[in-house]
Amino acid sequence: MKAWIDKYFSVIRMTWIQALEYKANAIVGTFAIFSGLAIEFLIWKQVFQAQELNEIRGFTFNGLMAYIFLCMIVGQLKSSWATSIEMIDSIRTGEMNKYLIRPISFFTYHFMMFIGHNSLFYIVYTTVLILFPILLPGYAFPTFIHIIGFIAALLISIYLSYSIYFCMVCFAFWFGEVRALVIAYNISNIVLSGQIIPLRLFPDSVRNIINLTPLQFLVDFPVSIATANLPMNLWIPKMGMALSWCIFMTLAGRLIYRSGIRVYGGYGA
Amino acid sequence: MVGMVLRYFSLWISFFNNSLTRDLEFKANFLGGLIVDIIFYGIQFFFFSIIYSYVDALGVFTREDVMIFLVITFLADTFYMFFFSGNLFNLNRWMVRGDLDYFLLRPVESQFMVSFRYVKSYALVSIVILLIMLTTLIIDYSKPIGFFNVLAFVFSFLMGTVLWYSVDFIISSSCFWFKNFSVSGWLSHEILKFSTRPDSIYTGILRKVLFSIVPMIFIASIPTRTLLYGPNIQYLLWQLFIAMIFLLFTRIIWKRGLLRYESASS
Repeated sequence: MKAWIDKYFSVIRMTWIQALEYKANAIVGTFAIFSGLAIEFLIWKQVFQAQELNEIRGFTFNGLMAYIFLCMIVGQLKSSWATSIEMIDSIRTGEMNKYLIRPISFFTYHFMMFIGHNSLFYIVYTTVLILFPILLPGYAFPTFIHIIGFIAALLISIYLSYSIYFCMVCFAFWFGEVRALVIAYNISNIVLSGQIIPLRLFPDSVRNIINLTPLQFLVDFPVSIATANLPMNLWIPKMGMALSWCIFMTLAGRLIYRSGIRVYGGYGA
Repeated sequence: MVGMVLRYFSLWISFFNNSLTRDLEFKANFLGGLIVDIIFYGIQFFFFSIIYSYVDALGVFTREDVMIFLVITFLADTFYMFFFSGNLFNLNRWMVRGDLDYFLLRPVESQFMVSFRYVKSYALVSIVILLIMLTTLIIDYSKPIGFFNVLAFVFSFLMGTVLWYSVDFIISSSCFWFKNFSVSGWLSHEILKFSTRPDSIYTGILRKVLFSIVPMIFIASIPTRTLLYGPNIQYLLWQLFIAMIFLLFTRIIWKRGLLRYESASS
């Protein structure tokens, strides 16, 4: 176990050093969040002002902004589409041979790389989250339990999101080029997971469908905990459901990977 | 002058033929690109359908107007994809690997080569679909839209595309100064996000900035206003002026950037 931890921790450390060299990623990422928030702020301000609304489906204007702000941060932390594109390329070009002849797992190695690459984001966003109660007091993290719940839900979200991407990546064994699939999922995911509009504002028919998928656990679940929009008595059942989805997606990923590796030529597409 | 334009046009036709042949070799990718576009359009329509379930109009833009605005946004995006995205997105990589040498050695203006060499031919299908959609929406619009509006719209739209190209080109060219600016595409995307929402939501200083230094309002909002509410000469002249200024900037930045280029060692 110690050897396993040492092995993959060194992957995180290596990618962490690389990530530190590209600080521009964190700067652009932060700009992405604040520019996105500015646009959402202006749209919803007009909606609230034009209709003279005090709240929409339980969201006050400030409450909604706090929610969207957190959604954008969580959305960026869990998105591993860039790592997925690298994985697809390594299958397509035959570069993944190096994972087959070494005692490392293709899944875990890239997961650790993803965490390492994102490490700069974790530092920047943790700082932002610490400042959050000062910027918008009373709209998130009302108690310490909510911070713990948020972190737990965020970790689940990151793992679940990576597992879903991994399943899609494995289709590259058969089709060679599945970037379009990953990008299509990524685009739909931004809206359907509640990253720019809370799921609660969706029409009921659409929400009922989303509730049957793991999408609700990617962004909406951690943010609902942080903003106290989810009653505490629902945390454990929801976490159970989210973990079940994690197990399901991990098993599905393994199954697809094992079938895929049998058809893998190893010489590049 | 005419001879030069014809020469460059025939060169672009050759680029297009070559890109089409390459794209058709990867049919799955060709289809995938189309599917991604359709999903992107669907998601944007869905986003605004939720917004408009809570409001009747965003400023002057009613639900009906926003549908046209969205199609124009998609059209601007697809036009940009078709002509430029296969090139500017890769500029940083070409510079880092020294591949830019191949563009500089050709007996053609290098900015033309790096801007137009690869055409995303699959976008042509999306352009046709979007033009049909736009025509249908114009015909079904609650008020008649005159021919003069359409003519002014075409002018405004082309100026918007020039601006989009210029902004992206300037951001991409900054790799000459940063040595490796792999996130330039992401940064462009984030800035261009401001053009994908109706201009009526922007107020105060931000509105002034989006009308001048970061002229995102001119990409889709002003063409939409021109089409739906008739041409505003002041807006159109300002759009022309800003587009020319930005185009001039691309020339200056490109020439200065090339002086800093050190081939594969940079």
